[in-house]
Amino acid sequence: MSTEIKSTELKTDEMIINMGPQHPATHGVLRMLLTLDGEFVKHAEPVIGHLHRAQEWQGQNRTWFQYQALIDRVDYLSGMFTSWAMARSCEVLDECEVPERAEYLRVMVSEMNRISSHLLWLGTYLIDLGAMFGFPFYPFREREKLLDLFEEIAGQRMMFNYIRIGGVQRAPNDAWLKRLKAFTEEFEDRVDEYEAIVTENPIFLKRTKEIGILPLSLAKQYGVTGPSIRASGTDMDLRKTKPYSVYPKLEFDVHWLDKPEGGDTWDRYILRIREMRESNKIIKQCLDMLPTEGELSGKKQNAGLRVKAGEAFSSVESPRGILGCYVISDGKDKAIRFRWRNPSFCNLSVLSELLVGSPIADIMAIFGSVDVILPDVDR
Amino acid sequence: MNAAEIYKLSRLAIFWLSVTFGAVWVACWGVGVFIPSLITGKMPFLLQVDNPSTTVVFIADLLRSLTPILSLLVFIPINAMFMVLFERRSLALFTVRMGPNRHGFDGLAQTAADAVKLLFKEDITPRGADAFMFTLAPIIFFAPSIFGALPLLAAVTNNHDLFKVANLPTGIFYILAAASIPVVALVMAGWASNNKYSLVGGLRSAAQAISYEIPLVLSLVTMCLLAGTLDVVEIVEQQKGGILNWNILGGGALSGYDKLAPYWLNLVDTSFDTSAMFGQFYPVPWLSSIMAFVLVICTVLLFGLYLTGACAEINRIPFDLPEAESELVSGYNTEYSGIKFAIFFLAEFTNLFVVSSIATVMFLGGGDNPIPKWILDRLPLEPISNALGSLLSPLIKDLMFIDPATFWAAFWVIVKVYSIVFFAILVRGTLPRFRIDQLMDFGWKRLIPLALILFVVVVFARTWVVCHG
Amino acid sequence: MANLLDRAVESFKRVGEGLKTVFMHSFREPTTQEYPEKIQDLAPHFRGRLALAVNPDTGDHLCISCRQCERVCPDKCIEITAHKSPETNKLELIDFKIDHGLCMFCGLCTEVCPTTCIINTNDFEMADYSRESLIYDIKRLTLTQDESTYYFDKKELPRPKPKAAAKPAAAAGAAGAAAKSAAAGGDAAAKAAAAKAAAAKAAAAKAAAAKAAAAKTDDGETKAEPKAESKSEEKAAEPKADAEAAKKDVVEAKTEDITAEPKADAEAAKKDVVEAKTEDKAAEAPEKDAKKDVKEAKADEKDPE
Ligand code: SF4
Ligand code: SF4
Repeated sequence: MSTEIKSTELKTDEMIINMGPQHPATHGVLRMLLTLDGEFVKHAEPVIGHLHRAQEWQGQNRTWFQYQALIDRVDYLSGMFTSWAMARSCEVLDECEVPERAEYLRVMVSEMNRISSHLLWLGTYLIDLGAMFGFPFYPFREREKLLDLFEEIAGQRMMFNYIRIGGVQRAPNDAWLKRLKAFTEEFEDRVDEYEAIVTENPIFLKRTKEIGILPLSLAKQYGVTGPSIRASGTDMDLRKTKPYSVYPKLEFDVHWLDKPEGGDTWDRYILRIREMRESNKIIKQCLDMLPTEGELSGKKQNAGLRVKAGEAFSSVESPRGILGCYVISDGKDKAIRFRWRNPSFCNLSVLSELLVGSPIADIMAIFGSVDVILPDVDR
Repeated sequence: MNAAEIYKLSRLAIFWLSVTFGAVWVACWGVGVFIPSLITGKMPFLLQVDNPSTTVVFIADLLRSLTPILSLLVFIPINAMFMVLFERRSLALFTVRMGPNRHGFDGLAQTAADAVKLLFKEDITPRGADAFMFTLAPIIFFAPSIFGALPLLAAVTNNHDLFKVANLPTGIFYILAAASIPVVALVMAGWASNNKYSLVGGLRSAAQAISYEIPLVLSLVTMCLLAGTLDVVEIVEQQKGGILNWNILGGGALSGYDKLAPYWLNLVDTSFDTSAMFGQFYPVPWLSSIMAFVLVICTVLLFGLYLTGACAEINRIPFDLPEAESELVSGYNTEYSGIKFAIFFLAEFTNLFVVSSIATVMFLGGGDNPIPKWILDRLPLEPISNALGSLLSPLIKDLMFIDPATFWAAFWVIVKVYSIVFFAILVRGTLPRFRIDQLMDFGWKRLIPLALILFVVVVFARTWVVCHG
Repeated sequence: MANLLDRAVESFKRVGEGLKTVFMHSFREPTTQEYPEKIQDLAPHFRGRLALAVNPDTGDHLCISCRQCERVCPDKCIEITAHKSPETNKLELIDFKIDHGLCMFCGLCTEVCPTTCIINTNDFEMADYSRESLIYDIKRLTLTQDESTYYFDKKELPRPKPKAAAKPAAAAGAAGAAAKSAAAGGDAAAKAAAAKAAAAKAAAAKAAAAKAAAAKTDDGETKAEPKAESKSEEKAAEPKADAEAAKKDVVEAKTEDITAEPKADAEAAKKDVVEAKTEDKAAEAPEKDAKKDVKEAKADEKDPE
């Protein structure tokens, strides 16, 4: 009987849980390797790559004209922005002028896309938090209206292929503009309704306040962008800090919270809500300022589309953050190299730090709040 | 205005409820009245026997005593079918959709179709699962909702002869005891499934049920204190006479006002001296009046407390943590499929119905008409009831049909129960769910202290007011 | 303690507000649609199933076998078979295959087509039982004249100029190819039957019309049978009589040309096919109208509810 109990302390085993890739709340196919101590996360590791489709490689194997049609799929909730980022890089290379009308249309459809993306996020986030049966339908109802509008102007609801190198594809007709106007007018009320149900709801506050605090320094280290970093005390928004297109001519605010010690998930939620209202304002202004006549594209859209030799990087502010496109061209029909800077990838990486120490039940609340979209991570 | 969908929903409700009650009525009447009377030769117009043999009498008695359980066995599945549909259609209303409207006439048969589908699904027992426990769990989960609801039967049917036998002098105690059994089943299901998520779900449900049973029981105990009895039939009996007598409004603290209102409103003989009678109900007039209103506030809060506790007890949103889909992938029933899953599903809705019925009996006057008696007496309803009576009396007399009083009691119970169910659905359509530690916090740090405070206040206040008890 | 009470009251208010907002939604009209019964009118530029248009005015096949679409397609799902006719030295289209299982509906092919032959239709109901049946051949792809007119008008495309000398040969080629594939495709007949059954439902009107059109050259008589009633009724009221006559003239001219061709293989067969085509084409418009009427009548019925 030589065994003796060394320590009187009760030791518990760690449990390793695979969350995903088929978990209902991981929005696609994220696999999260969680080491749990009881209900608390000790270590979290996002395992990515389940949705890798070689988008960059495909860009080097397709003509410019063909690749344009494909990149909406990189981030399928905000296809306009991926198209736009690529178009802008190519326009820099090509030194081609984008007609003003096209710029207004680009801003308009992009802001619509921003709203639709945030709406989807809002619905799914509430599903993550357990409000499964009622609320999520409301944002989806509005999103559906936007998708109808996209369908009419671009031909499809999500894979738009609308913003092209040099301009845009098609001009909207009056009926379309009228419908959009009607939408912008009622949208404010709708957001008020969402807020009445969600924003100050005590359970929602309990679930989202004081969790998933992302300090500014950490956010910068990981390259987090978009509303997620604006909630942590910086006003970095490319539309203001590095204005492009016709944004300088439009009046809008960039909402951010002066919280360098870190914004919580509720802050990220409220910023997105405010951003939707801002986008709505921008659309209204665009509707007023949109030139009724004029060119749509500074470049001919056909199979022989070429971009001059050189390399360029440019980025746009997508709903999830800074979306950049780096391109090298040798003037031939295909690009030599495409490289995407996807906001979701950086926003996801920070999770491994953000989740540590939180209970399992908060994982979804935190994960949802950084608004990651998996195809955007894996490309 | 969305008149079309609302109309469709009410049409659906009326249809299903008629079917439910028709079926229950046929079963009860057939087994409890018709067959026993027939074999003992008591049925009018039919074979008359003077001295039935003892065996026959025994069989007849046996059949009669089986009626309560039979009525529940008929009622619960059909009613659950309607409740599922009702919930889905109501949620569709809230979310500006149409809801299931394909199967049968405007979606009437949707749940029936679902049930049939589930029946034909493969019944999977996961590898490594404890097969016996795995099978037993849904049964244990479901059974209490049947036998636990038995004492309620007499209460909701105006103490009908057939259901009297099911009543217990300690009814509410028995019901609460039965209601705490399902949690065992959830832990069993979680454990036997051999799945980490299920296990967490099962354990969560145990923790949750234990915590929330306390405020739930405390609120009911307080009500029993006001009523002075544990017998549900008696509790319902006390509350008769309109909304002012209901337990939710002070547990009888307002019944004095109810009695005196006709005099004050000059509806009856004005020469009557009301102050003496007032003194009977409220011994120290000013203090008693204040205490009566304190009691009203307390009982309303207790009602809220009960609903909250009940929501947690039966795992409804915002307390549906054991099956939190976005966290635990449905928790304890992750691994269940086919008919076992159907039983879980059925039991969840039955539980909702049962806790709503308890609320109805304990707080909302059971089968009582909400309109105060002194108003009801002055409404010109007599011709209608006379006509109905003359129409039905031969049936009642000769075929021993269920009498109108029972019918109306059942009617009001259904209206009240479904109002509560509707509210639960509305909550389900609005609120997100709690986190497990917040749930515990809320239960232990808010609800239990509140329940204890209310208990003390009620004990104090009722010494000054004559309540039901 | 007071703080706690305040918070409790505040929470109740917020929850109540939320419940009220949700409850008030039940008095709004549903925003969803009952899909198979009510099909939303899709935008003209919606990128649905691909199809080959014919000239809305003359009925000629518009494809000039330039293979631009084949080249631009990122998914390589278009396969064109054409050969140079020795007589006229022009390209003749023999077959045109699109694998809709591969297609990503980017619409690039429609953008590059010089004759606006290949277009995206509004049909999106293309579910099928096998991958093979998603490969559409020229017969299933080619639209009827009326459908072409419909899409040309809807998309506001410029009307193509009628072809000059090359016309007869190309038309004959197309017809010949059609006849060939008709002989080959046994399942096409089954498809036609399915399309007929679907046509009985007003809901599936458009899709069925497209499919029926694709199966047109098969067997004119059996097709005409089940719809004979509506056709004859509508025909009486159809002011298109002169247009019909004109069409017939054109086709007669065509058939004459064919007979005049030196290469006289299976002449008679071709002629039959072309005639059958004209008959059916004439019948197509009223049929479609009748379906539309039925649809409207249904909608009326539903309204009072
Ligand atoms: S739509 Fe795109 S993928 Fe489909 S056939 Fe045309 S070019 Fe190819
Ligand atoms: S469909 Fe158009 S692009 Fe394609 S081969 Fe025919 S004419 Fe050329």
